[in-house]
Formats: sequence, structure tokens, C-alpha cells
Amino acid sequence: MRNFKTLASAIAVSAGLAMAALPASAESVLRVAMTAGDIPVTIGQPDQGFEGYRFVGYNLYDTLTLWDLSQGETAADIKPGLATSWDIDPNDHTRWIVKLREGVKWHDGCDFVAEDVAWNFARVSDDKAPQFNAKQFADIRNRTGIIDKVEVIDDHTVAFITKQPDALFPYQLSYWFMISRCKLTELGNDYEKYAVDPSGTGPYKFASMVAQERLELVKNADYWDEKRIPKHDRLVLIPMPEATTRAAALLSGQVDFIEAPSPDTIPRLESSGMTIVTAPYPHNWSYQLNFVDGAFKDVKVRRAANYALNRSEFKALLGGYMIEGYGIVPPSTPYYGKPEYVYEYDPEKATALLKEAGCHPCKITLAISTSGSGQMQPLPMNELVKSQLDAVGFDTTLDVMDWNALLDVGRPGREKNPQIDGINISRALQDPFSALIRHVYTLQHAPKGSNWGHYTNPEVDTVIDEIYAAFDPQVRMEKLTKLHEMMVDDATMLMVAHDVNPRAIAPNVKGFVQAQSWFQDLTPIVVE
Amino acid sequence: MIAYILRRLLFVIPIALGVSIVCFALVYIAPGDPLNTLLPEDASAETIAMVKKAYGFDKPIPVQYFIWLGKVLTGDFGNSIASGRAVTDDLFKALGNTILLAGGAVVVAFSLAFVMGLVAGYHSGGPVDRAVTGIAVIGVSIPNYWLGIVLVIIFAVELNVLPATGMGPRGSDTFNFWEWDHFRHLLMPMLTLSMIPIGIITRTTRAAVAEVLNQDFVETLRAKGLGEREILVHVIKNALPQVLAVMGLQFGYLMGGSILVETIFTWPGTGFLLNKAILTRDLPVLQGTILVLAMIFVATNLVIDLLQTMVDPRLKRS
Amino acid sequence: MANITMSPADAVAVQGAPAVRVRSYWQNVGYRLRYDYLTLFFGAMVMLILLSAVFAPLLAPMDPYESSLINRLKPIGYKDFILGTDELGRDILSRMLYGGRISLTMGIMPVLVATLVGGTLGIVAGFVGGRTNMLIMRVVDVFYAFPSILLAVAISGAMGGGVVNGMLSLTLVFIPPLCRVAETATSQVRNLDFVEAARATGAKTFSIIRVHILGNVLGPILVYSSSMVSVSILLASGLSFLGLGVTPPEPDWGLMLNTLRQAIYINPVVCAIPGVAILITSICFNLVSDGLRSAMDVRL
Repeated sequence: MRNFKTLASAIAVSAGLAMAALPASAESVLRVAMTAGDIPVTIGQPDQGFEGYRFVGYNLYDTLTLWDLSQGETAADIKPGLATSWDIDPNDHTRWIVKLREGVKWHDGCDFVAEDVAWNFARVSDDKAPQFNAKQFADIRNRTGIIDKVEVIDDHTVAFITKQPDALFPYQLSYWFMISRCKLTELGNDYEKYAVDPSGTGPYKFASMVAQERLELVKNADYWDEKRIPKHDRLVLIPMPEATTRAAALLSGQVDFIEAPSPDTIPRLESSGMTIVTAPYPHNWSYQLNFVDGAFKDVKVRRAANYALNRSEFKALLGGYMIEGYGIVPPSTPYYGKPEYVYEYDPEKATALLKEAGCHPCKITLAISTSGSGQMQPLPMNELVKSQLDAVGFDTTLDVMDWNALLDVGRPGREKNPQIDGINISRALQDPFSALIRHVYTLQHAPKGSNWGHYTNPEVDTVIDEIYAAFDPQVRMEKLTKLHEMMVDDATMLMVAHDVNPRAIAPNVKGFVQAQSWFQDLTPIVVE
Repeated sequence: MIAYILRRLLFVIPIALGVSIVCFALVYIAPGDPLNTLLPEDASAETIAMVKKAYGFDKPIPVQYFIWLGKVLTGDFGNSIASGRAVTDDLFKALGNTILLAGGAVVVAFSLAFVMGLVAGYHSGGPVDRAVTGIAVIGVSIPNYWLGIVLVIIFAVELNVLPATGMGPRGSDTFNFWEWDHFRHLLMPMLTLSMIPIGIITRTTRAAVAEVLNQDFVETLRAKGLGEREILVHVIKNALPQVLAVMGLQFGYLMGGSILVETIFTWPGTGFLLNKAILTRDLPVLQGTILVLAMIFVATNLVIDLLQTMVDPRLKRS
Repeated sequence: MANITMSPADAVAVQGAPAVRVRSYWQNVGYRLRYDYLTLFFGAMVMLILLSAVFAPLLAPMDPYESSLINRLKPIGYKDFILGTDELGRDILSRMLYGGRISLTMGIMPVLVATLVGGTLGIVAGFVGGRTNMLIMRVVDVFYAFPSILLAVAISGAMGGGVVNGMLSLTLVFIPPLCRVAETATSQVRNLDFVEAARATGAKTFSIIRVHILGNVLGPILVYSSSMVSVSILLASGLSFLGLGVTPPEPDWGLMLNTLRQAIYINPVVCAIPGVAILITSICFNLVSDGLRSAMDVRL
């Protein structure tokens, strides 16, 4: 009946019943336009891709290990969050001892204790538990799937038992948000209610939500990390999927901070006094290739495609807002290394390689989408790829589909789509597993994992196994570097561009530091 | 008359059932799994199977249809796959916003178009008539989403006098029609959406007025020595029912046809909801929204039809 | 969109012309059209637009697919680019000409097919009557219960983008109203004396339809379907704009509007061109349809 009331009240408004106006307030408000089409869900693991993590996840909640987003000079890495330390049991490489922060309170006033961690694990793993949620399970499964069980040792210590040794495990913890056991239990484990009355430990508290339109958060003055208590009172998040709309909203003063202005709007934004901030971040606009069915099973063809691309033209297309992609990860990544092959634009070499491979003209089909998370400007960029590839002797067909249909090609892998030679899904490369391992590991063959084109290389597998077993950070870094070099030299992707994630900020907004990460810290922002 | 009304109402039931089948079936023609947006892009096969079961997508389609229909009849449209919220809540809130927008657009259109049509009808064939007819043709020929983009550039970006997007300074929940700061959010979408009804209502009015003026009784009235003002009243009285009927029909069309305009202005109505649901293949939202919009369209047409029949019983349908 | 409110029943006001006068009716129409200069002018415009699309390969100064990034988003009259360039530096004039092929095809084909299919269904339903009529018209009623844009968006949204799916969905949108027009007109004519008389004399069903029914039903159907062309063009461009119609890199006016929209702050004039093209084309089709209506004396 409530719904009909909403409808009735809307009609009443239009029919002429006046409602009381809201009082004006003197609090400082930061209004952000997101690229998402809807408000990310507030019940723990957000949706809407990493944008949901960025604006809702890490603001309402904390994870055990957090990303250090305080500077923009080097790639962001993890730091203590709700966990103060994590150590591998020297006698058992599947057992992690994690110390939890003391004195942390949930927004509802309860204390954060070890039992909360165990309860949160059941929430995303045990379908018999009353707090279990299928969507949340699906959203975090790839990160928590490695955990066999959680043992509560004392109020502020837990042990994670992993199914096999995983030196990268602390990174997995950085995506898993802790929600309040107190609150959800109080609400009878009803996630629909919890969504509009959530409770975390993060730097912002939930204030109000207008479904589909805006989410308002207020600062948590009691946040455990004093350095990160927000310097503004209120944060308003508004979904605005159209780039031109975001620019218009900023120019007309409806918002103060917009995500991803399209390159062609940037000159206008700058001339109106807006600040454009950019930073490299672990993003790769590339194609995963089919290593089994088509032309790309030959490394010569893969290299030819990489040599065929004149990446400076992409940079021109994007108004300079990108980094030319010659590696899987951006060059500022610590494990970038020195790959032997640097695929500078060389059309003659590309043509020669194609002829050598006996594939000239070389017919390929690329699956691309019209839009999608992290896809930058998919249509013009793909059209440019096609024209450059065709110029050296490829015969490229673009198979254009919407984002959903592309994911449908992406999930099951090449087996179900043997006619597709490359797929343009921009992946997040936030941590070493996401950046490298999942694309080339034999155990990650789709549909089980993200190795879409079933790349298989025993040497690479050996290096990956060594990484998993390398609990010494320095050894691990060496191995990771080696893995990245191998991936570039074997041209395991068609590498095009790294986004620099431009954001446009109104002149009265100060203090934002863009980290080299998918995630960002809004707490230092001062609104004048 | 009552028997006739009842018969017409009964007649709606098979249509409604048919519509519900079409709505339900539509989304199953779709390539692309509805669970895609729900799951991370690298979800494994077992995760997918488990979630499919949790959402009931593993059952045969006819079974899913009857489960859905049963719930719909009790006002439960299920929960959005993407947001987890109850579709009924989102849908009826959006419906209110679209009614406001479409209603406003039709009222604006009627006020402008009726005057224009009246003047044109009076001066049939003259330069005023030609100008008005020209405006009417532009109204029905202009791609209104394009007009919306142009208006945003002019009034929001360049002149900075109207907001570019959204519904009210704090969202639709607190929208207050009578407060300028809120109302100005409505202006551009309303004007954009009113273009087509302006064109159509102008043409209808013009034709109706010209026809009435051609009828014998006007001559009789003039012969009787009635002033032009009285004649005008007669003309309006005779032309109005037809024009109002067209206006009502237009309202029905705009309810379902505001999708482009709502997308341009991020107006949180049913069109916006629908567009988003299409992009994310959010089945429950898609099915519910299409069904409700189609039913509103059917209902509007029926009401207008019945009203017209009451005014002029000769129009009864067999 | 345009004219869509004209209820089919209104469009039909069969003149009740007896069969013998059928030919002279059409002669009358021709006579009236010949002296309707406005309609003739816009008819010529429509022909011009159609011809420019048909002969796009001959007329286009450049390859509509060839991009050049140094020349992106140049203004009207820059070097050899008469209408400037788009976001990939492609010649807008060439893309507009080629784009007309797709946009006009998407506007006209669905109406043509729907006229054939819907018209046939309607004539059959109206002529045979009884159960057949019941069956056809009830199915039509269901589809008629959707506002046109909603139905088009829902069907193409369901089937996915692409020219073929877009045209298919638009065809489905136009079949129900055309079927109704044909059915109403046919059932009105069917009961007229001269048809009864023809039946009594033992004329074959097919020839009755051909001679008597078609002669009287064709006018309303033609008028109605001609008025649907501009609606179809607008709907098709709207679908492409939403990303549900034509897929890139194909040139199409609606899609061009969508992609050029991003660059509206850099070159607003160039970005407005596809919108103007859609507007003008739609106006021309609308006015020609109006002319036809008054020439055929079909009441709005």
C-alpha cells in the first residue's frame, strides 16, 4: 500500500498540494556526479563496478586491509585497515594470523570484534546462515573463495585458513567490506531494510537516500583514523551516466566534482575555471586474445597487431588523456620491469610479421561494446583500432554489442565463441592477481576464471606458482616483474591505452589528491 | 450505458492478459543473461549456477510466468536484480514523476496549441493559418531528444539560468511544484516533451474549428445577429470535446513515450527506469514497467472512449 | 510521434464510391495533386532526399569510413570538408549522404512491410469476418495496447541492437494500426450494396477483393501509412540514439547525433547537422502525407 501512497502523493504534488520547503543549511557539502546509472547498493559489497567501491564501499565501510590513497606519486598499495597486522604462520603456509584494530566502533555504537569477521565470512559463504545474501556472495566470491574457514582466536585476533598457500591473500582482504552484525541482526537480517539504514565503520555515515537519484552521507566525526575524518560535512553522490550531462551539471553549478568528463568536454570545462585532475592508475584498455582458435594463436600475428597500433593517434583522439599502452600494467607499476619487446608503431614490421606467419590478409573478429565500465570511448577507439590494423594487412571485423552481451561473450571464454579472436573488456588491474595472474594462468581458464582465450604456457604457470609460494615481499616482486615481462614479450594481449581517469572539479573544491588507484579518498576535500 | 461500460471493461481483461504475456515473453527473447550485471565480470560457473537458483531463473519459463503473474496481481512486481529494491516501490515513485512530467507537458501543449489552432481555424487559409500549420508540422517532425540537448546547452550551460539535470535540488522525494527552485527543474523537460502534443493538438483544433465554422448553424447564428464573441463560444463548445479527447490520448502516449526526454534530463521517471533496466537487463523492472505503462495506456484510451461515448452515444463500438 | 494519435477509425471515411467510379476517383486525386504546388514542392524535396541517399556513392566527396585524427571536429568549410568533420575526422557530408541510406531505409521499410502485412491481415479480417476477424483483431488489440515508442524500445531492447532488429521492431509497431485501418475500411465497404450485389452475381472472392474492396480501401491505407513514414524515421533515429538501433561504424543520422553529442562543446554547429537533417526529412514526409490526404479526400 505504501507504494500507492507514494504515487498518490506525487499526484497530489502535481495537483497542487504544497509541501514544506527544506531549511537552508550552512554545512559544507560536496556533490559528486558518478558515471553509474544507479546508486551502488549500500549493503556491503557495492555494485556498479569499482565506482561503487570507490564512493560507497570505502566511505561507509572498511576492509581489513585498506588501500593507501594518500598520495599520487606512486602506485597505491595496501596498508592496515581494520586489521593492524597480518602474518603467515611459519609452519603452515595456509594459515594467516590477523590482528584486529581495537577501539573501533560501528556507526550504530557497537564495538568491532573478531566475531564480526567470522560472521561477515558466513554472510558471503554459508547459504545456511541467516545473514547470507546470494548477491553479496556472488560479488565477493572471487576474493573470498580461497578462504576455507575463519577461526576466532580472541576478541581481536582471527586466523584465516586458506585452501592453498596464497602469498597474495592480504590483497584479497582489501575488497571485502565488514558490515555491522549488530545492525543487521536488529533489522531481522532484512537486507532491504538494511540498505536504507546501513552501519559500517567507515569515515562517512549514511544520511539519506532517494532511490535512483542521490545518496547522502555525513561525516563520521569519530572515525578511528583521525587523519581521515572528512573535512566537509556532507557528501552527496548522484548517478549521472551521460558524460555530456555530467559536464552540463558541473557547468551549471549543480555538482562540484564529476567523474570521467569526456575528453571533448574538457577544454570547455577548463575555460570555465574547472580543475582537471588526472593520474595513471591500474587500468588497461586492451583486448584479450583467443590463443586456440584463430590467427592469434601465432605469436607473430599477436606481435604484428601490437606493432600495427599508432598509439599517439589514440592519445590525440582522447585529447591527451591517456598513457600509451606497451605493457599489461602502466609503466609506473613497481613490477613493470624491462620487457624485451617494446611495441612502438612499426607498420612495416607488422606487415612483415603477418607475411611471415602466412596470414596476409589476416582475418580477425573483435568483440566490442558500445559502452561499459572502464571502456573509455569504446566506439571511436575501436574504430581507430580497426583502421590501423587493416592498414598493415589485417582484415578486421568489429562485432559490436551492448555491454551485457559482451560480458556474455566474456564469461564462458573462447570455447563458446571460437569465431571471436579478441575481446575488448577493460579489466581492473588493482592487485597482482587481477593484473597478471588471472589472464594467463592455466588454472584460470574460462569459464572457471578470467583466462578468456585459454593461454597455456608451462613456464608462466611455474612462475605463478612461485609467486603464490613467495611470502617474502622482495622475492615476490622479482617473480611478478618476471611474469609481466613474459606476458609482454609473448604479446598476451593487444595493448592499447591506460586511462588516466580525468576528473573535473569546481574551483571552490580544494585538497583532492588523486591516487594511482581505482579507489580515491574524498575525505581531505574542503569545500569553500 | 452502464451495461455498455461493463462490457467494455470486460473486454479489457483478455487484452490485459495478452499484454502481460507479451511483457513477460519480450525479455526472454533477449540475448544476454539477466544475471550478468549482478555478477562480477569474472564470476565462475558454479557461482552463476548458485545465484540462478537463488533467483528462480532455473525454473521452466511458463512456470516463471505464472509465479510472476500471481505476484503481480497482488501488487508485487518482485525485486530488482540490480539494486535488490522492490520493483513496486521504484516503479510507482517513477510513475508519479512521469505523470507530473507528461501531465505538465500536455497542459502546456494544450494551452498553447488550443489558442494557436483556434486562431488558425478562424483565419483558415490566411498567413496566420500557414504560420501556425508550419509550427505544428515542426512540432511533430522535430526529434525531441535533440531539442532537449540544444536547450540544455543554451539554458543550462551558456545562460546558466536553468538546471541541466535531475528533479529538484534534493531529489524527487522532496520535489515541490510550487517552489521556483524546484519547479525550474521541470521546465526544460516539460517543454521538450510538449513539442509533439503541441503539433498534434494544434492540427486537431484547427481542423475542428474550421469544420464547425463551415457548418450551417454558424451562419444561422450570424443571421440571428449574434456577436462574434457568442459565436466564438459556440465554436469552442463544439470543438472542445474532440480536442480534449486528443489531449487525453496524447497524455497516454507521453506516459510511455517519455523515455528519450527522461534520459536526456535524467528525470527519474518510468522512461529513465526503463532505459536503465534495458541496459542492465533487469528483468523484473523491465517486465513491471512495460506492463504498468501499457495498462495505463489501455486505461486512458478506455476512459476517453467512454467519455466520448457519453457525450455522443453514436460513437458506441460494437 | 507525429500523427500517431490519428485513430485509424478517423482516418477512414470511405467515400462509399461505387466500383464503377473507382477510376475517376483516382483521376480526381491526380488532378487535385497536380495543382497542389506545396505538396508538389515537398514531394520533390522527398525525391531529392531519396535520390541523394540512393546515389550516395556517386555524390559523396569522400569515403565515409575513412578517419583522420588530425582533422577531427573541424568546422563547416574546413579544407575540402564541406560540412566539417566528426569525432574521428571523417567527412560529415559523406556520412550524412550514406547515413541517409540507413536512416531512410529504417524509416520507410518498416512502414512498407507493415502496410503489406497489416493491410492484408486487416482486409482478410474485415472481409471474412466472424472468427477470423475475432482472432486477428484481438491479437492486434494486444499490441495496440502499447504506446509506439514503448513497444519499439521494448522489442529492440529485448532483441538487441542492429539495423535488422530495429526494422523488425518498428514493423511490429506499425502492423497493428495499419491492420485496424484496413479492417475498418474493409468491413464498411463489405456491407455496401454493390459488394453484396457482386457476391450475388457469383463473382469470385478474390476478384471482389481486387475490384471492389481494394479500390476503396487503398486510399485510407496509403494516407495512413504515408503519415507513418516520418514517425518511423523519428522512432528509428531515437532507437539509434539510445544505442538500440544502428551499430557503429555505420553512418546513421540518429547514431551520429549520439556520437557527436560528446563534442558539442567543441563544435556545436557540426553536431547539429544530423538533427537538422532528421527534422527537414521528417517535415517533408509529413507535408507530402498531408497533401495526399487532402487530395484523396480522406478525413483526418
